[in-house]
Amino acid sequence: MSFKDQLDFIRQHLKKNKLRVFMTVLAATMGCAFLIVLASVGFGLHKTLTDEMLDTQLINEVQIYGKEDQSPVTADDQQKMREMENVNAVVSRSYLEGVTSITMDDRTGYGDVQLTNLEEEEKANLALSEGTMPTKPNEIVIGYHFAQNLLTEAEMNAQSDEEVSTGFTTSMIGKEISIELTPLNEENNEPKTWDFVVTGVAKAPSKDWMTDQRVLIDESYRTEFQLFTQPDVPVEESYISVYVYADGLQSVKGITESLKAEGYHVYSVTEEMETMDLFFTVLKAGLLFVGTIAVLISSIGIFNTMTMAVTERTREIGVMKAIGANPKLIQRLFLMESIWIGVIGTAIAVALSYAISYLANWLIPLIVMNIMEEDGMEDMGITISSIPWQLVVIASVISIGVAMVSGWRPARKATKIDVIQALRQEL
Amino acid sequence: MIHIQDVTHTFSIGKKGKEKRVPVLKNVSIDINKGEIVSIVGKSGSGKSTLLHVLAGFMKPESGSIKVLNQETAKLSESEHAEFRLNNFGFIFQNFQLMPGLTAFENIELPLKLKGVPKSERRVNVEALIQKVGLSAVADHYPNELSGGQQQRVSIARALVSNPPIILADEPTGSLDSETENEILILIQSLNKSLGITFVIITHDDEVANIAHRKYRLHDGALVNGGALHVV
Repeated sequence: MSFKDQLDFIRQHLKKNKLRVFMTVLAATMGCAFLIVLASVGFGLHKTLTDEMLDTQLINEVQIYGKEDQSPVTADDQQKMREMENVNAVVSRSYLEGVTSITMDDRTGYGDVQLTNLEEEEKANLALSEGTMPTKPNEIVIGYHFAQNLLTEAEMNAQSDEEVSTGFTTSMIGKEISIELTPLNEENNEPKTWDFVVTGVAKAPSKDWMTDQRVLIDESYRTEFQLFTQPDVPVEESYISVYVYADGLQSVKGITESLKAEGYHVYSVTEEMETMDLFFTVLKAGLLFVGTIAVLISSIGIFNTMTMAVTERTREIGVMKAIGANPKLIQRLFLMESIWIGVIGTAIAVALSYAISYLANWLIPLIVMNIMEEDGMEDMGITISSIPWQLVVIASVISIGVAMVSGWRPARKATKIDVIQALRQEL
Repeated sequence: MIHIQDVTHTFSIGKKGKEKRVPVLKNVSIDINKGEIVSIVGKSGSGKSTLLHVLAGFMKPESGSIKVLNQETAKLSESEHAEFRLNNFGFIFQNFQLMPGLTAFENIELPLKLKGVPKSERRVNVEALIQKVGLSAVADHYPNELSGGQQQRVSIARALVSNPPIILADEPTGSLDSETENEILILIQSLNKSLGITFVIITHDDEVANIAHRKYRLHDGALVNGGALHVV
């Protein structure tokens, strides 16, 4: 019997019991949709946290926060790191202590003053929204929001909780700013001022709620500043954070492992993601397991439908066997019928699940927002439910597999029907 | 063509553990030649239907040999027997055994579908046969829209459609009135003559049995006459 004839045969039989078939398909749909929607919550939360992590952290950054033998990370160590495979840049940053004020003309502000290697920062993807990278030691790059903190005295006095001044709003390029430092020891606290010229403004951070108030100064000032603010602390003992930048996320893991093997204490986004991935893999497996129970319950419907179909068609099966239908063909026809129910149920379930998922992602933040009386939740990019193609494949395999298994016994029963008994059945 | 040799079969009846063994076929031996109409007659319970079931492969005999077209069929597996039936046997049943959900046309083409014959070829064969058995006007009718005689014609057409060399008929006129019975018997005789098909007819009715070239009589599972040539 050709495959097309087999399909026609099945279609004819399914047409005979439309209501029963509809109810069975409905049960299969509900079971599969429950499985997908339930697991999609696990996938959604995983996606939200992963996106959040990747958005707020530099994904290709490996932070080195010391050595196992407690010795400081030296310039030689950094040079060796630069020579490692897939390393784009190695940046050493130190925070400038003892800053008492930052001024520009009649404006005063505050900032996150860092001493760094600006050439390496550029290689590590420091992008500018305006201006150029410094070429001289007294030239600096400022963060995107730094200018907002530079306020005149009048602006500072006028500021209240409701009204926040926007600070200096015109271009900062070419402006001269002065940084006043005060030594940290109590005996000598006479302040001193250094002047710098702004040549570049960094790009805005990826998220609206993040602010960048950095002031990036060339590291050549490190010794000078150190001798002024903390003359009793040797320069080589001051705390420097070292960051290694990989050429892509795929290289981060390898670099992290290599640095660990060389005795560095390191942290990278892959470390955190591995722990998170493990947690969510367990969570998703648990949700899939619970969802599969629903599919198994719905399979009882398929089993009943197929058993009834075999019982009702005993005489027809007997006639088919009598005129020469192979028992394997009979088994295949009934199995195909249960698979058909499984396939249709799964197809509807997938479409339904996407609709539910879309609705949940739109509606739940709105409801939560109304309850909490807060705005802006929709901008936070929270995904309640996510259905990747892998979930669709897993759910389809489970659902159609269960439909096959539940139709297998009735199909076997059909092949065992005794021709003589079947032909004796009343019409 | 068909060689049945010392076929014996016993049924177990009654409750489990207290079964009683009843012999239904006792050393039955029959030879049927190509192109013959052979009837097997006997009262109810004489074993004639069991003999047909054993010959068709619906059950295996306890002992004895059945050779059809030089093939020892008693030793075939269920699947092999199904294929053998599909290629070599046509069946006509007392209560027609048509598929209620299929039209007359679809019922007739069923064996061709099982054989995997392409649709266009099926259509040509079935249409020719429908004309031959006089069912052109009711080809798209369902079995419950046909008279008994028409249903049996559909059943005969279904048996003939794949050109089998042998047709096994179990009480082919048992559900029909005498007028229709005559029509069906004439049809069987004409098909036998024109197509040379071998018919094995199981019946309790002597009138039906008389169309056969040879007649065997079964009584309590044993043959009581040896199939003497019968003048039709």
